[in-house]
Amino acid sequence: MSLLSEEREIILSNEYVDAFDFEEVEEFVKSASKELFISHHFKNKSKNKGKMLVQPRGGFPTYKQQFALYEFFVDANVDVLPLTIDSNTRLNDYGTAQKMLRLSEENDMDMLNGYPLVNHGYRTTRKMITHFNKPVSLRHGTPDARLLIETAIASGIFEIEGGPITYLLPYSKNFPLDKAFLYWKYVERVCANYSKLNQPINRESFGPLTATLVPPSITIVIQLLEMMLSLEEGVKSFSVSFSQQGSMLQDIVTGAVIKKMAKHYAEQIGCSDASIHLVYHQWMGAFPTNKDYAEQLINMSTVIASMVGADKIITKTREEATGIPTKEANAKTVADTQYTLRILNGLPNVVDEQEEEILTQEVSAIMEAVFNDPADTLWRKIFNSIKNGIIDVPFSPHIINRNEMITIRDANKNIRIIDRGNVPIPEHCFAFEKSHCDLNKDTTSIVNDIIHDIGIMQ
Amino acid sequence: MKVVTGVVGNDIHVVANRLMELSLHARGYEVFNLGVNTHLEEFFDAVVETGAEILLISSLNGEAEGWSREVRMLKAKYKDLDNLVMMIGGNLTVGAGKADEIEKKYKKYGFDLVCHQVDLNTGLDSLEAFLAQRN
Repeated sequence: MSLLSEEREIILSNEYVDAFDFEEVEEFVKSASKELFISHHFKNKSKNKGKMLVQPRGGFPTYKQQFALYEFFVDANVDVLPLTIDSNTRLNDYGTAQKMLRLSEENDMDMLNGYPLVNHGYRTTRKMITHFNKPVSLRHGTPDARLLIETAIASGIFEIEGGPITYLLPYSKNFPLDKAFLYWKYVERVCANYSKLNQPINRESFGPLTATLVPPSITIVIQLLEMMLSLEEGVKSFSVSFSQQGSMLQDIVTGAVIKKMAKHYAEQIGCSDASIHLVYHQWMGAFPTNKDYAEQLINMSTVIASMVGADKIITKTREEATGIPTKEANAKTVADTQYTLRILNGLPNVVDEQEEEILTQEVSAIMEAVFNDPADTLWRKIFNSIKNGIIDVPFSPHIINRNEMITIRDANKNIRIIDRGNVPIPEHCFAFEKSHCDLNKDTTSIVNDIIHDIGIMQ
Repeated sequence: MKVVTGVVGNDIHVVANRLMELSLHARGYEVFNLGVNTHLEEFFDAVVETGAEILLISSLNGEAEGWSREVRMLKAKYKDLDNLVMMIGGNLTVGAGKADEIEKKYKKYGFDLVCHQVDLNTGLDSLEAFLAQRN
């Protein structure tokens, strides 16, 4: 028995799991409709210069509610359906998820903040997915997603978000990072294996990270590294992503650099046959409580995503500041975003060569430092680099994160690095970053600036 | 002076915690930041381990109210903590509540300084005033 199938048996020996019939699952994937694969839609989009795909967020506890949400989305002309998983499942606590699912079903009250996929099982969920015949994207936040991903693919969900770094550093205080790398290695292999049967399974990294003053250099480095970890295991379709940062120019520069460098590093490891896409998240920070303002912000995000040239946009709702959105509000965003995309024509091509050059040099320097770590495998090099602060994510709650980098916004709301900690930002790039900021302020006023800079959209 | 700080309970809100560390540091304190999701025992253990003179607990989701009831009992189990300055700040109640009533309640729980929804620097100024008065 191979190591992979041994690991599979361990994961499946769990009282809450469907009895898996892997032969049947393989047959299903092999003969599944191409429409279910987002990689197929990406391919068509690039062939026909098609429009950006629109994907909302959303997950409810019960099958019935999720089905109703999908009906609303389809009516609003959605391109990609989301399946957001509840927080118990994210922590592999299927027992609590089961109990809360029952309570939700019996009492008409939501006791979970997402869809407990493992408890529903793949046989049930597949009926819903194949009924709508649209690509579904799995949104979670799980460090150990092995069982979840087996269940998702068996259900007909052929896009998997996440990664060992992006699903750990923003969400967890002390889940061991080395374990996360190994669990995600399993996920990549499973995705790679199923990709051979029909269209490729798409993997997507979670670029927003903490969505709190993360500089583009750190975002891009982590996107590139998760892409490489995935392609290394044989994944053939991958999306890098980032979220709106607060300055339109910085977003455009980030988009240009991430596209260029993703291609470069994929080639460098001999994976130029993989197709790489760009995903843009509408503003992920604190939202205005005024719902009309929230809609203006969402609309502006859509315009920027178009300027960036994203292949897919992930939407927010006017109810972002108040809690989990209703299906009505959620579907409204989809329709509004589709409308904006339809009327948004003749976009100018904005390029800032100096900003692009500086960002490119920063990313290259950090990547170089990661590769120079003496460890024997890429994941160990990355692990060591996070531990010693070569990669430092502002406002990560995780104990392994260094927390030495300090960033603020300049006059144009670009995120700038004023303390690089142990991150190897080249001297002249650092000087460039600092030259945009007022460094004569004392720490008290810098802290006040940071508070203001985090909440700029409120 | 040494300060132990962190966010109490199962509360992952990290932003203010980082800013607090920056601000305390700028004011000349030696900071031992336990970060988010910290349990009461861990706070007192860290005070003993570091010999800190100030314990500054924060909360955003309001869980502090539940945890703080155990403060006196737990503190009594440790030796030599009688001179420890105990401060708590952030959002100290689930739902709405009157600041003066909240303050009274937390003082009863054993805190010297209570800052419910008080601006970060105002809170730290009050700590300095308290220390100056005590010496």
